[in-house]
Amino acid sequence: MNIFGGKPHPLSVTAQDLRLSILEMINTASGGHIGGSLSSVEIMVALYFSDVFNFNRDHFILSAGHLCPTLYAILAKLGKIKLGELSTFSDIDSRLEGHASVSVPGIEYSSGSLGQGLSFASGLALGDKLHHTVCLTTDGEHDEGQIWEAIMFANKYHQGNLINIVDYNGQQIGGTTATIMPLGELAGKYLHFGWTVQTVDGHSLSALIKAIKIAKASTIYPAAIIAKTVMGKGISFMENDYHYHDVKKLPISLYLQAKDELSRSSY
Amino acid sequence: MNSRAPLIKSMRQRLAQALLELATADPNLYIVSVGLRPSVMLDRFSTRFKTRFVECGVAENNAAGISAGLARSGKNVFLCTYSCFSPGINLATIKQSICLNGLSVKIIGYHAGLLTGELGASHQMLEDIALMRSLPKMEVFAPIDATEIYQMVKVLAKSSHPAYLRLVRPSTPVIYPGRLGFTIGKSQVLQSGKDITILGYGPVLVQVFSITTKKSLEIINCSSLKPLDTATILKSVKKTGRLLVVEDHQQNGGLGEAVAALILKASLKCRFAHLAVNDSFGQSARDPYDLYRLHGLSPVNILDTINKLCSR
Repeated sequence: MNIFGGKPHPLSVTAQDLRLSILEMINTASGGHIGGSLSSVEIMVALYFSDVFNFNRDHFILSAGHLCPTLYAILAKLGKIKLGELSTFSDIDSRLEGHASVSVPGIEYSSGSLGQGLSFASGLALGDKLHHTVCLTTDGEHDEGQIWEAIMFANKYHQGNLINIVDYNGQQIGGTTATIMPLGELAGKYLHFGWTVQTVDGHSLSALIKAIKIAKASTIYPAAIIAKTVMGKGISFMENDYHYHDVKKLPISLYLQAKDELSRSSY
Repeated sequence: MNSRAPLIKSMRQRLAQALLELATADPNLYIVSVGLRPSVMLDRFSTRFKTRFVECGVAENNAAGISAGLARSGKNVFLCTYSCFSPGINLATIKQSICLNGLSVKIIGYHAGLLTGELGASHQMLEDIALMRSLPKMEVFAPIDATEIYQMVKVLAKSSHPAYLRLVRPSTPVIYPGRLGFTIGKSQVLQSGKDITILGYGPVLVQVFSITTKKSLEIINCSSLKPLDTATILKSVKKTGRLLVVEDHQQNGGLGEAVAALILKASLKCRFAHLAVNDSFGQSARDPYDLYRLHGLSPVNILDTINKLCSR
């Protein structure tokens, strides 16, 4: 059901499939960063399943490496890895590390230590000006000073082929980002640092795809997209509760409830 | 060692020259600068290869990330700044963005060790070898003089591993026989002897040549700190039975500890001494060699230690 009565985006089916995969992956592994993985689903779907970018040539840098379950699920859907491999997430013999790893086909950057990915993306964009480099960071990650170093750098080098999408879910491991370290007007900060900025509903596929098209068209300015999201999106008891930044194995009743909610979600 | 006074040359200058030559031949060679362009003598490079000189400002973490990203795009990247800042500040970025991602960025750490002189404790990097040799995939080098650095950087430019290269600030005596060449993983026996093996790297080792003694010294330049030339070291220690390691670095995590572990693992019997900075900070000194006297790394200290080790 869509309460606004509009037609759901055709890719929303893909998004909900991915959410089920993420839940299975993390629950089978008895642990993982589920909150941000769920909040970033539409962002990564818009990147990988629209025709705006071709990540065989363009680059995707997942700075927030703990969101890797979403990316692993996407790579499985795209056939880069086998669907069955998802059940090996974070196990000893698996290449699906607990944080994103270049050992997985289709992943360009091993990450996990927050705040580093935008610098890497910026260097990559400087070295490959023929293609676009898209980075995915989080709001909590903006506590790191290195992010701001990279933001200044991208402005200096007029990196029109660099896009940074911020999964702004307002939560981090120990509380809301507003209480841990308030970011203030993030969009305004990006503007003052010389970037173009769009703020969008990070769960609206049509809004996200429109935004990345606009960002791609920027030829002089690096482009930020602040995607307002809900941590734990799609599972009612997880939504906006920072305790679900990461989970261990869910009690069976909660697992079944989560699965049920994701299966019944609106298309 | 011949009796003529050796030439005094700047490692920085020689490295800058080598980088100019390399960049002329290799259009993929990039330098990532961290706000210290004049001090690391890259003015000429920055004007001649404008688009390949990437200035990050005083931001070492970003600079390491930019270097890694450029390397991922196929560039041959040299990250150039003081060692007290890189790896002093950006170790975590070097670990993840460069090493974990398997990228062959060359990290040039200028102004290492006590020889940084009047700039004082904050600028005297005494922990760089310990930090860098602990990182997986990272190779670590410290040339003894301007001649060796020239040869070294030409070799490293072709290497597919990340590497850390340690330089000192002042001009120092040139003693390296250029004909030896530089090979990754090889040390050079600069002088053969039978009484005691003296191991070290950088100009602190050059001081051994100024010592007058009747003892027969075997002097080995361990400029390739990782990979370490274990065969040459073990062969020498087997012969002499005595080992002195001298280094302008903290004792903790330095070459001395690496070699001590090597000797123990090989079950070699050997008398051992390690001259290095003993868990303390540096300080300012107008004559940097005053700091060698203060921290027990001067020729007198080296001679005393040789005599002690050779006393029975």
